[in-house]
Amino acid sequence: MNEFEFSLTQFIIRHSPLNIKKIMNFFSTRATKGLLKVGDIYCPKNGDFPSFTEAAGTAYLNNLVTHVPKDDFSSLNLVLAIFSFLPNGILNWIITACEKSQNNPSDGIIPSTLRQLNIGLRGLCFSIYYSEFTNPNFNGKKPLDVIDYRLNRIED
Amino acid sequence: MIYDFIVVGSGSGGGSLAYYLNKSGAKVLLIEAGKFYRKNTFPKTEAETSAHLYWGGGIEFDKAARIGFLRTKMVGGSSIVYQCLMDRFDDIAFNDWKAESGVDWFNNTEMDKHYSQVESDMVLHTFTPEERNGNAKLFVEACDKLGYKWGNLRRGQSNCGAEKGNDCIGCLGGCFRDSKQSSLVAFVQKAEKEGLEIITETEIEKVEPNNDTCKIHGLQNGNKVSFEGKKVILCGGAFGSTRMMMRSGFQSKLQALGKNFATHPQFMWLGFQNEPVDAHKGMFQSVASKDPSFRAQGFKLENVFAPPISIGMLMNVTGAEHQRLMKQYRNIQCIEVAVRDENAGVIRCDNSGKMSVEKTLTDQDKTRRDKGLQVIENILTTSGAKEICKSNFPVGLHLMGGCVMGVDAAKSVVNPEFQVHGEQTLYIADSSIYPNAPGINPGLTIKSLGHRLAMQLLK
Repeated sequence: MNEFEFSLTQFIIRHSPLNIKKIMNFFSTRATKGLLKVGDIYCPKNGDFPSFTEAAGTAYLNNLVTHVPKDDFSSLNLVLAIFSFLPNGILNWIITACEKSQNNPSDGIIPSTLRQLNIGLRGLCFSIYYSEFTNPNFNGKKPLDVIDYRLNRIED
Repeated sequence: MIYDFIVVGSGSGGGSLAYYLNKSGAKVLLIEAGKFYRKNTFPKTEAETSAHLYWGGGIEFDKAARIGFLRTKMVGGSSIVYQCLMDRFDDIAFNDWKAESGVDWFNNTEMDKHYSQVESDMVLHTFTPEERNGNAKLFVEACDKLGYKWGNLRRGQSNCGAEKGNDCIGCLGGCFRDSKQSSLVAFVQKAEKEGLEIITETEIEKVEPNNDTCKIHGLQNGNKVSFEGKKVILCGGAFGSTRMMMRSGFQSKLQALGKNFATHPQFMWLGFQNEPVDAHKGMFQSVASKDPSFRAQGFKLENVFAPPISIGMLMNVTGAEHQRLMKQYRNIQCIEVAVRDENAGVIRCDNSGKMSVEKTLTDQDKTRRDKGLQVIENILTTSGAKEICKSNFPVGLHLMGGCVMGVDAAKSVVNPEFQVHGEQTLYIADSSIYPNAPGINPGLTIKSLGHRLAMQLLK
């Protein structure tokens, strides 16, 4: 994040009705809703695959971001909270723009930020979806089972 | 208390250096910013590995978010999460270092004694044909058909349990068998038993060298701490050591500080086979390209793979299309090209201590990348891949430069004796002193440079 983006984010955080300032160290309920919406776009219900909302163990989320710098985490929290209010059509458009940014030759602020968002959101969603941290109330086939991933861990 | 030596950072450079210094009976303190994980406390899942073992809780980016950097934070540093491939540099690498730096001991004759000592202090294993998994077999067969030379990799490992069915990909989050010869296993834990003092979760922010001693200041659990040593050696890696130097005000004295950053950008492509490859099973990385023409063209190929989250990140699609590819996880064949990039990157640090990196691929880097990717495509096609996923997001695992070694104080940060130019008590001994990218796995040479400095300091 460059200085301009950082200043802008700080301004928005200070003046946001979402009161992000109070939830700097963990995902807010609103941000979690936004993540579930985004997650369902990345990982929808499809054949054997459960939807992100069904499978994701959101209780584990905060454990995965304990070492993320506070500035970056505040920005992520804010972005996800905003996403929670957006219609799916607009959210789909943003995610497509994030994907396309990987091939954008420009190093400007917008494509650079979209590239960060692309990796950040995908990383967060896939870290929950393709992991052992599934929703304890979900009884269906887990994503790791769908892809038939089994690892032998032999300890002496 | 004034220590004889304080080593800041416990990765490949700091671990070996502290081990050899401590062995002499000197009073040595090893300081590490990260936690002290052991074989039974490493994270057990891929998600936790990314979240807990890396600075920033995962991947970091260059300013334009075109390259991701993986920078570890724990005792043992990057050697904990890498494959511990132990390659000596060839004459090409040392000749280029010598040409760039003017340092005449950059040659294999001079380095042989250091390589030999470090190798004798580790358990090394060269993979055999019987140890190849499905991914390695496909790589070897296709290379043979295409006339590309390849070779078995040599890795630091003692007892991986592969014959019992252990899957080594699990040790990318730290080896739970203490088999991998990381800095932790090969050096730090041994030195600890011999009395090495180790302080963890302490981040050094500032160094203050004078003629007799060097003071260092930092934060431990939010509290200010200071230490003093007759000699202080920074081993925080390209980002860590450069940051400590910048935070200490050396940028106005040393114009080369932060410059000459390189990272061997790595691009992984996936080929989808009709039958299971099971690239994640057994010894998952055992062969690599050894073709002299590839070396001359500035790239190398490795037969790598990764657990599901990382593989999913390589597919820049979403939704059902992403799931269609992920459902074929067991059928994936994977090859990576590592580019021997130009050292055109720049590391910066603002007044608040926040770092930024400018790192774009130069035209030469892109040419090398494209040639390597063409070879990968040839191999995947020859192997019978029905579909190829061409990831365009490179990752930098080998972080090098920022405090490069050289004879000219205007173009380098440390002199050929590892001393910061103009200072008597401050040294640097890690990948940050690399004059340029060698195009070879850097781990063994970092450890060997640590041994060289230890011998020099103990004279």
